[in-house]
Amino acid sequence: MNGLLVILGVALFVGMLFAGMFWYAVRSGQFDDMDDPPRRMLKD
Amino acid sequence: MALFPPITPSVADTCRAASPARCPHCGTAVEGETDAYCCSGCMAAADIIRGAGLERYYAEREAFPARPTPLDGAWTALTTEPQADGTVAARLIIDGLRCASCVWLTEQVLARMPGVAEATVSYASGRALLRWDPARTTLAALAGRIAALGYQPRPLGVEPHTDRTLLLRLGLAAIAAVAVMGLYEGLYAGWWYGAIDARMATLFRWVSLALATPVAFWCAAPFFAGATAGLRQRVLSMDLPIALGIIVLWVHGLASTLQNRDGYLDSLTMLVALLLVGRVLEARGRRRAADAATALVATVPRTARRSTPLGIERVPTELLRVGDTIDVGSGEEFAADGIVTEGTGQVRMSLITGEAEPVPVAPGDQVVAGSVLLDGALTVEVRATGGETVLQRMADELQRAADTGVRASGVDRIAPWFTVVTLVVAGITFAGWLAFRGLDAAVASTVAVLVVACPCALALAQPLAGAAGLGAAARRGLLFRSTQALLDLNDITVIALDKTGTVTAGEMTVVAADDAALRIAAGLERFSSHPIARAIVAEATRREIPLPRATGVHELAGVGVQGDLDGRRWSLTTGGAGSVCLQDGTAARSFIRLGDALRADAAGTVAALHATGRRVLLLTGDHGRIAEQVATGTGIREIISEADPRTKSSVILRLQQEGERVLFAGDGINDGLALSVADVGVAMGSGAASSVLIADAVISSAALAPLLAGFRAARAAGDAIRINLRFSLGYNVVAILAAAAGLVNPLVAAILMPLSSAVVIWGAARVETRVRREEMA
Repeated sequence: MNGLLVILGVALFVGMLFAGMFWYAVRSGQFDDMDDPPRRMLKD
Repeated sequence: MALFPPITPSVADTCRAASPARCPHCGTAVEGETDAYCCSGCMAAADIIRGAGLERYYAEREAFPARPTPLDGAWTALTTEPQADGTVAARLIIDGLRCASCVWLTEQVLARMPGVAEATVSYASGRALLRWDPARTTLAALAGRIAALGYQPRPLGVEPHTDRTLLLRLGLAAIAAVAVMGLYEGLYAGWWYGAIDARMATLFRWVSLALATPVAFWCAAPFFAGATAGLRQRVLSMDLPIALGIIVLWVHGLASTLQNRDGYLDSLTMLVALLLVGRVLEARGRRRAADAATALVATVPRTARRSTPLGIERVPTELLRVGDTIDVGSGEEFAADGIVTEGTGQVRMSLITGEAEPVPVAPGDQVVAGSVLLDGALTVEVRATGGETVLQRMADELQRAADTGVRASGVDRIAPWFTVVTLVVAGITFAGWLAFRGLDAAVASTVAVLVVACPCALALAQPLAGAAGLGAAARRGLLFRSTQALLDLNDITVIALDKTGTVTAGEMTVVAADDAALRIAAGLERFSSHPIARAIVAEATRREIPLPRATGVHELAGVGVQGDLDGRRWSLTTGGAGSVCLQDGTAARSFIRLGDALRADAAGTVAALHATGRRVLLLTGDHGRIAEQVATGTGIREIISEADPRTKSSVILRLQQEGERVLFAGDGINDGLALSVADVGVAMGSGAASSVLIADAVISSAALAPLLAGFRAARAAGDAIRINLRFSLGYNVVAILAAAAGLVNPLVAAILMPLSSAVVIWGAARVETRVRREEMA
């Protein structure tokens, strides 16, 4: 029972972490251009 | 990779070479045994590339670039954006980037220039962002370097930011949905295995509520905003039933959690996430079309050569004043309205009047800004500039007349009915269950009805299939302003085409010439930038005739050009309307005819349009004889010629009164009225900027075939939307009845919603496949 509580807590914390990273990524403009980075990668 | 195609037999005899020598930079065939640069521009470009140590470009490139032409325009007059670190920035769009290596080369060359802090060119769109130290270099220098490599830069303004908030809402809703769905799955498992710890279940429910609340209030905010805006304006859109559904889901979730029962919170988060996906896709599709349209109309500020007592100076057109005298040379555009004081020439006014026939001008004649001097040299006294020119006044009138009304889409029209019927059924369910089983059962069933009635699939049907249709059309060269414009194509019965610039190329090309004469003419005109010279060299290149090198070339403005080739002295002069005459001083002479050629795909497109059962009509301001020639050449059976802008729109109005729905395609400013009046107006991307900005759709390439692709995409999208709508309505009806009968609980709802949405998504995904299949047939 306690084990499940811990797991739940950790899972929620990791979820929040991902949400935070997503927030940061969007705010710093990383999702503004979705077409160019893939082609740039191919070029070199 | 076939970069060295074979020569035609007739020319092989003349130049006696098995495989031609080529310019190492642009690949144009030149006469001789060894590769030699075809012009000084290519030589200079190769020097830049070698000087920067970028020879790798030649090894890796997949296409030949164009020959470099000199940079023109008032680049010094452009404003730049100052940055925080003292550098300045500018955004450009670069034409002529033919493969990834071109992009790489441009970035490398620019980055190596002194003072450049950042030079990024997008592989996907050709947009460039440059940042440099204003003390060490200038925008003109950077643009000049780009032009020296053979590409054409144009300035872009500040671009609007993508809607980051929408993406944030989607991301957070998706993360919350995954978490809540996981927790509720645990609760659902407890229904069968029964052994879930009561405290654990309570914990799961409360955490789910905590996660679902921000989703309902913040992530779903756009739907509430849409619903309230609609209520205020008495327009009931699909946002209203969605907003009601979310409220019901959340309130019920709160109540259930407080009472320690399972609510519908997982359906809530999944619903919001799915609907936001639809919104993001739609927004992205529309932004792409808008970006492409602005890129098409970006122009370099024009310059003019003003003569002053001190000499001739190049000034930006904004600085011209009434009474100034400007010089205009061959191939240049008039910067202002005025009267010719000296010189003669031929002027093309197609962008304004729609007529492609060159108009001869002499001292005393009026000229207007925006028309192009094809041949000759003139001195013009300025009479009207900037906003006062005929061109600008026509453009302003167009903008004012453009209709910006918003029409409700098909799905939105169902919304009021939908809401009413749902509420009625909910009311009946409540009353029924209350009478037979009591309050608890009544509430549970009513909530179930309201939950499954939530039109997730219905609301996704149009945006997804619409976005798919817009994307399919955009990939084939036709950019739509909105989904409604795309769907309107399905109702079109008559297609009215303008002639100049739409069905025809709008530029001077060689219409008839024999190979030998063309070869000599190309040799004489090889280094000239005169429009006739470019047309001749382009045709010679197209026929794969290696360019010879003439010596002693002497160009006389307005008369022609002379030079020595093959031991004889040749001269190329104007030989009457629309042709040039090549002679060698003896009686022998050969004529090269120039004209406005039909687009290569015009006949095929017209035939295919006829095959769809629609009428095709040629609507032009040109003379009857020319219009008939064009009609015969393309297979168009109905012609209306000598039509001025007013006549064009009245023809369209008359057709509309007869019950037809008309699509009009045109490119000039004189087509603006017709574009607004037609049910769907299509502008050619290479035409007047104002037409591009007010049209419902834009053809972004120099071809007519995208029009056909548009019809196919509209058919596929329209069918997908119709099927999707029927399916979702059917699903909703069945689901509501099942809910009213008490068969629906949170688990059932959680399964039904993604299933119905998946069907709708699959239907939208088939749009591209269907268009492709039609193209193969």
